[in-house]
Amino acid sequence: MGLLTILKKMKQKEREMRLLMLGLDNAGKTTILKKFNGEDISTISPTLGFNIQTLEHRGFKLNMWDVGGQKSLRSYWRNYFESTDGLVWVVDSADRLRLQDCKQELSTLLLEERLAGATLLVFANKQDLPGALSKEAIREELALDDIKSHHWCIIDCSAVTGENLLSGVDWLLDDIAARIFTAD
Amino acid sequence: MEPAHEFGEETDSAGDNGAAKVQDRLQKRNQARIDDVERRKEEKESQSVAEEKLEYFSSTFKREQMCIEDLLSGCSGADQGVVNQRLEEATIKIVQLQKFLNDSVLFLTQYELRQAQSALQKLQGSLAEIREKALPKKKFAFRARTKVADKVSEQETDSAPPYCTPPADLGEVVRGSSSKLFGFSNMDNQYLTKTSEEINKRDVLLSHLSNCKVRLYGSPSTLHLKHIDKCEILCGPVATSVFIDDCRNSTLSFPCQQLRTHSTTDTQVYLHVTSRAIIEDCHGVSFAPFSWSYPTLEEDFNVSGLNKDSNNWNQVDDFYWLAAGTPSPNWTTIPEADRKTNWDP
Ligand SMILES: Nc1nc2c(ncn2[C@@H]2O[C@H](COP(=O)(O)OP(=O)(O)O)[C@@H](O)[C@H]2O)c(=O)[nH]1
Ligand SMILES: [Mg+2]
Repeated sequence: MGLLTILKKMKQKEREMRLLMLGLDNAGKTTILKKFNGEDISTISPTLGFNIQTLEHRGFKLNMWDVGGQKSLRSYWRNYFESTDGLVWVVDSADRLRLQDCKQELSTLLLEERLAGATLLVFANKQDLPGALSKEAIREELALDDIKSHHWCIIDCSAVTGENLLSGVDWLLDDIAARIFTAD
Repeated sequence: MEPAHEFGEETDSAGDNGAAKVQDRLQKRNQARIDDVERRKEEKESQSVAEEKLEYFSSTFKREQMCIEDLLSGCSGADQGVVNQRLEEATIKIVQLQKFLNDSVLFLTQYELRQAQSALQKLQGSLAEIREKALPKKKFAFRARTKVADKVSEQETDSAPPYCTPPADLGEVVRGSSSKLFGFSNMDNQYLTKTSEEINKRDVLLSHLSNCKVRLYGSPSTLHLKHIDKCEILCGPVATSVFIDDCRNSTLSFPCQQLRTHSTTDTQVYLHVTSRAIIEDCHGVSFAPFSWSYPTLEEDFNVSGLNKDSNNWNQVDDFYWLAAGTPSPNWTTIPEADRKTNWDP
């Protein structure tokens, strides 16, 4: 079997979605992915390159891409934009120091043509920390209300306790599904 | 299969009913056997599909890589027209190869991915180099070639760190949140300490410090060090990550889950890290195992949840050094004889 056949087969599968998880390094992307997949989160290393996990959820097959957020890797993000259905932007709610950096990266990202049409879920992560900013504060700091180009939603969560991870992903799936699978 | 046992049971049950039961059981067993064979066959098939995919990927990638290398090496000494054509072809092929890699990622292992990524990076590097050398300045360019040149200049900016945001403005950061940020800023030549009551489970920030000695007795959630020069900073177990940015000529020591070091030079780190340490844009960073101790260290380890027995202090990933096989020149381990053992203030 040639690669093209395999790729075609993969894409033909119905109810399959491609989710791209981005954000600054240390935001908790890999932890979210592993938690969602029920894996041990105490041994997670900084991501050199990317992780991919394929999950089954509510009858959907999710291909979740977690791409490293180090400065030296951000320029590679664009290599992963193609055919992204949903974008998960993860924010370290306790990292006040880099919120401006975070805002800047997000707004640059949303200008990308290849991400046009993708649904945006913002995870205000690390809510279990006493110093975490609320999702309202982050919504304001990142100026989310100015986003008109994408469907978006912000959800506060903790990758450590698992709080709200599911409801976030459920919202994302519903929004994407409404767009993709009800067209016909 | 245990037919003996099967028939042994039969003698206990009476007449037709018993025989039917046996029949039924045998049939079920046979079905299970068939299912099992079927399952194994499928497993084997999907295994071989996986191998096939991998094989196809590796051979295609190799072939394309060699083809691009040939194109590039054929540029030296060739005349301008040929060089233009070859460079253009190589540019397109590299883009295609990147796409092929992206599409194949689902079934590649981390190792293969890394190998392929660094091979691609190398190709892009030599393409840029040859273009630089071989092509005359833009004003002599043909129309057709300008397009390619544009593409490449885009790639060149790609390989540099994309957004060199200036260091976060401290005023900005503290706005509305001063009550929640803990640490020290803008100090010179001081001896500074914090206790566990002050820092446990909090984000601690030390910034713009020079010639200071800092002792943090406790277990913060995260520790940020920014703009540090000639300091000695010791900290109890950090539950998640330690973040270092722009640190020079300093000695640091702490246990943590992850260590992320950026733009740091000539600094020693006495480290306990339960997952990994990484460096990015660093030189002259050296590592040794954590050796500082203070009376409540054990307690703070418990608060942090870190595993005291797992220390990967000498496994450091360099994000600026992706070449597999050759170790990064940007970090070293401190020889045992040179390690600091006395941490008295
Ligand atoms: N307290 C807390 N720590 C978290 C949470 N999510 C991630 N972390 C920690 O943050 C650090 C970075 O997480 P990681 O998933 O590697 O970040 P990534 O760079 O975005 O992939 C790790 O030390 C995690 O344990 C969270 O929800 N709460
Ligand atoms: Mg990661």
